[in-house]
Amino acid sequence: MLASWRQTIVVLLLGGWGLSAFAGGDAPIDTATIELNRKANEACYACHSAAGIAKPPKAGLDLSKLKDSRLEPPVFNPSDHGVMDCRECHSKTHYNDYPHAEAGKTSTVGCTECHAAKVLRLEPQFNASVHAKVKGVKEKFTCFTCHDPHINIVQKRLKDPAKIVAQDNHGCLECHNSSETFAKFAPEGEKTPGQKKARPDIDTIHDWLPNTRAHWKSVRCIECHTPEVAEAKMLSHEILNKEKAEKKCLTCHSANSTLKVRLYRHMVKDEQQKYGFTNSVILSNSYVIGATRHPLLDNILIGLAGLTLLGVLAHGAVRIIAAMGRKGKE
Amino acid sequence: MSERIYLLPLWIRLWHWTNALLIILLMITGISLHFADPKLPLVEFSLAARLHQIGGLALVALYALFVVANIVSGNWWQYVPKPPGVLARCWVQAKWYMGGIFRGEPHPYRVSEEANFNALQAISYWVIMYMIMPVMLLSGLVFLFPDFAPDRLFGLDGLLPVAILHYVTGAAIVLFMIIHVYLGTTGATVTSMFKTMINGWHEH
Ligand code: HEC
Ligand code: HEC
Ligand code: HEC
Ligand code: HEC
Ligand code: HEC
Ligand code: HEC
Ligand code: HEC
Ligand code: HEM
Repeated sequence: MLASWRQTIVVLLLGGWGLSAFAGGDAPIDTATIELNRKANEACYACHSAAGIAKPPKAGLDLSKLKDSRLEPPVFNPSDHGVMDCRECHSKTHYNDYPHAEAGKTSTVGCTECHAAKVLRLEPQFNASVHAKVKGVKEKFTCFTCHDPHINIVQKRLKDPAKIVAQDNHGCLECHNSSETFAKFAPEGEKTPGQKKARPDIDTIHDWLPNTRAHWKSVRCIECHTPEVAEAKMLSHEILNKEKAEKKCLTCHSANSTLKVRLYRHMVKDEQQKYGFTNSVILSNSYVIGATRHPLLDNILIGLAGLTLLGVLAHGAVRIIAAMGRKGKE
Repeated sequence: MSERIYLLPLWIRLWHWTNALLIILLMITGISLHFADPKLPLVEFSLAARLHQIGGLALVALYALFVVANIVSGNWWQYVPKPPGVLARCWVQAKWYMGGIFRGEPHPYRVSEEANFNALQAISYWVIMYMIMPVMLLSGLVFLFPDFAPDRLFGLDGLLPVAILHYVTGAAIVLFMIIHVYLGTTGATVTSMFKTMINGWHEH
């Protein structure tokens, strides 16, 4: 509470003086600075990259601790923060040399420093999330639990829905589909005091959903696990629990699919009913039963069925009348 | 009592009614899936999906049995329209449906143990059972295992052609079924052909 008041004041002050654009702000960065930053980062890639790990810059260095890292210029450069100098987030004083100073670990600049306004808006949602409510979990849950600041690319730049799904679901599945990572965050089990709660299998939890794997590839967890959202607005950061999560298939599987305002919200303005399909922007990536229909084809088939029914009924009626006529003559 | 011949062995009758029930189930659930809308009183979506998948797999199995049994028993021969004069015989049959039937003229084709379908029936059954059905079943199977669908096509999802093929062939089978049921009333009496399908005996 106090913290967020302090933030408000900071935002107002910084905003008022237009100072949020200093090195710590999230204003666009000019090309010359980007070049400089990328050059500076090469010093880090000497060790922090697959090539560096394979061939350390100094003999006798053990870089095996870095082997799980996904850092690479082709991964970092296109990411949201790829224009920046690593040391804008990883303190300039502690990472210029190796071995890095121990203090570096605790001096990483938090998201708030540069994105105060966004954090201010998101924090109440974040605090209402399932993850912020469970003791033992909330202490460890931060913005970068889901957002890898070296890799993530914002939806409107990523564009391809398949890539957006892959990125956003990776954030959730990294934990919910890996017992190892889950155990690092999981609270104590109610029935097993002193022991971590076991990870429920993600496909078993959702066994009411047919072909879960097809769904994980084409929609995001947050499609169902966040509250209703207004058109063109970003989804909430409030992750809903199992009581409140969306279970109705028709939310997506109908002509008025919410996917339009969720996964496809950045594309929906380009909706042109391509080839005559409704929701054809969704069709660019997924055929969604009930949502991606062809009204003309539907009408033709309904018409044919109607005509056929009428045809046999008329034929039958004429047969009955004719038979009555023949009986009358006999 | 009119003349009777024993026309249809038990396996054909069992197959026929199972097939009919499954297709009706698949039609109702398929319509519920395709036209899913909160305002329409259809089968609830997840129930429809589950029933459609079970029914679909059952129909695939039944079709496989049907094909094998047809080969083993030689019944497949019934579906082959036999030349010469196939078209002429079709025309005779069609003319009867369009005119003769109203005047109470006798059926132009006399059913026998050797050939129990008239030419028009043989052709339409052949088209439905050996051309449309397999496409419908295969597209249904790909729908069930979407990894087999092409990834993309013309900038759209690769499942789209599969879905359209499935939808259109499914609709063709439903249209066929409407006509098929109605033509079932054109036997010696309105109900005699249905009785044949139940007890196997045909009345001339
Ligand atoms: C000579 C090799 C080398 C260079 C150059 C290097 N690092 Fe590291 N870095 C490591 C190794 C090895 C680790 C693994 C932890 C350890 O052994 O200290 C590490 C760990 C880190 C960590 C994890 C936190 C920590 O302190 O352990 C950060 C952050 C980091 N480096 C940032 C940087 C930045 C930013 C640069 C460039 C300015 C850079 N490093 C340059 C070798 C290097
Ligand atoms: C936008 C801020 C930001 C930028 C820019 C950034 N990092 Fe990080 N980095 C972080 C945060 C946040 C963490 C997580 C710290 C934690 O978990 O406590 C992190 C963790 C790391 C780690 C340790 C975990 C891992 O992934 O292996 C290394 C190493 C690292 N960064 C290196 C780099 C290098 C090298 C660059 C530049 C190419 C860079 N970072 C740029 C924010 C940033
Ligand atoms: C040192 C400052 C700094 C820190 C710390 C920082 N960012 Fe950023 N962030 C930026 C800048 C600068 C940009 C814009 C880059 C550009 O203009 O292309 C940005 C862009 C983004 C974007 C894309 C936003 C958009 O609308 O384009 C997201 C999302 C984001 N950051 C999330 C985070 C998260 C989550 C953290 C905490 C892990 C974080 N950032 C930490 C500076 C920072
Ligand atoms: C539980 C995982 C999770 C946590 C924790 C999380 N985020 Fe997010 N965040 C997401 C997802 C998923 C999206 C994409 C939402 C969308 O498409 O609307 C997102 C989107 C964003 C965006 C907007 C990018 C855009 O599309 O413009 C920003 C900014 C952001 N997060 C910042 C934060 C900050 C700051 C925090 C910490 C307070 C945080 N996030 C914590 C998962 C998370
Ligand atoms: C770093 C690990 C981690 C990440 C990332 C993560 N979660 Fe969780 N999640 C947990 C843990 C631990 C719990 C608490 C489990 C419990 O209390 O049973 C939890 C609980 C939940 C619950 C509540 C279950 C209930 O009891 O109702 C939901 C829903 C959930 N997560 C969804 C998500 C979604 C959606 C994302 C991605 C946006 C995500 N999680 C990302 C670790 C994670
Ligand atoms: C189609 C909507 C939908 C999608 C997509 C979805 N969920 Fe769920 N999820 C639900 C619903 C509804 C429940 C409650 C299930 C119940 O009542 O049994 C739930 C339950 C959960 C739970 C709670 C399990 C428990 O019993 O404690 C977790 C954790 C969870 N989901 C995580 C995820 C993750 C991670 C993803 C993405 C891979 C995801 N969900 C995708 C709708 C969805
Ligand atoms: C969050 C939106 C969403 C919800 C909610 C949802 N679905 Fe889906 N569903 C999709 C999308 C997107 C696809 C397309 C998958 C693909 O690309 O193949 C799909 C595909 C399917 C498929 C076809 C999979 C295949 O075999 O090709 C079935 C069946 C299905 N959903 C059933 C359901 C049922 C039943 C429910 C409710 C219990 C449900 N869905 C809820 C989005 C959703
Ligand atoms: C006469 C029989 C059938 C009819 C009328 C029919 C009709 C339909 C229709 C209309 C849809 C909705 C598709 C869309 O909206 O594009 C559908 C979906 C589907 N059909 Fe069929 N179908 C039939 C038989 C089968 C068979 C034999 C299978 C084989 C396995 C099958 C498998 C599927 C699958 C997997 C779906 C996707 C939905 C789901 O998984 O439940 N169908 N069908």
